[in-house]
Amino acid sequence: MMLGAFEDAELEPNEMQEVAFHLARCESCTGILADYSTLGRDLRSITAEPSLAGFSSAVIARVDRLPMPVFTRIARALRRQLDSVGAGLAWGGAAVAVAVVTIILMTPYAEHFANRAPQSTVLAKAEPAAPATSLVADATANEPTMADNDSHADISRLESENRSVAVWSEPRRDTTVIWLPDQP
Amino acid sequence: MTRRSCSLTFLIVAISAFGMPGLLNAQSSPKQVNVYIDSVMAADTNEGTDPRLGPMDQKLRGLFGFSTYSLIGHNEGETDCGKMIAFTLPGGKILHVQPRAIDGDMIAMEIVLFDGTRPMMTTDLKLKNNGTLIVGGPRYEQGMMIISIGASTGGSPPIQSQATPAEATNR
Repeated sequence: MMLGAFEDAELEPNEMQEVAFHLARCESCTGILADYSTLGRDLRSITAEPSLAGFSSAVIARVDRLPMPVFTRIARALRRQLDSVGAGLAWGGAAVAVAVVTIILMTPYAEHFANRAPQSTVLAKAEPAAPATSLVADATANEPTMADNDSHADISRLESENRSVAVWSEPRRDTTVIWLPDQP
Repeated sequence: MTRRSCSLTFLIVAISAFGMPGLLNAQSSPKQVNVYIDSVMAADTNEGTDPRLGPMDQKLRGLFGFSTYSLIGHNEGETDCGKMIAFTLPGGKILHVQPRAIDGDMIAMEIVLFDGTRPMMTTDLKLKNNGTLIVGGPRYEQGMMIISIGASTGGSPPIQSQATPAEATNR
């Protein structure tokens, strides 16, 4: 009577030991146990296991179809709306911030192209018209010089090996002069 | 507001902001610059003024005290902003003019004067449209050389000699 339970390993350890000891001496019981084993294997082989494909999704779908309490539904709807509006506000804020920074950075550039930029830094002002006999001024070569803003030229850089460069403007004649006397 | 529409708004704002200066530039400034060069020899030899100098005569007399002004060369050329134009002048001088930008009524340019291969002077300046820059001083024959550099973006050229390049070389 204990052979079935022994085959299914459902006996207590001392009972398992007792049955195993008996089987070692009893050919009849050994044969019966072999029949049980064969019968069990055959039964398992002819039994079809149900398929679990789609089981979890079907369960979730059924859970979703269950009636939800009103308060839970309202809370979920509110949370969804807040998430959506929050993301929108974040993106909108980022876009506005980038636009503001861009406009701040680009405004001088735009003004430059719209001819509203301030003139370059005046480093030195050339003296008004000088007579031809006193052309050698103290303008130092390689030092940037800027002609008078009233003239028709704004010089932002002037480089020369000649250390006696003179620069002056003659607004009445719309002319700026750079004088490079030959070095002795 | 969905995430996609936010991204689209951001893209439009960014493109508008970055594209504005380029648009302003494209609308407000022509790109071609006419450059006029007159090379004049000035000396104290009491020979008077070369009639080919035309209205430049008064300007030179107002600026300098020489008794002789003779036109020794006239060059003119047209170039685009950012593109250098080179002129070969009398006395082995070479002049490079590179307009950089047109800023309203001013033409930003770089000018380099060479004596042969040696750079004598390099300058960055903004010259008023139709204004004149005079570079002078180098010795030339019995006097000094005066180079009048004019630039315009079109229309009437700055005050210059009335000689054509061919006439200026036939002294």
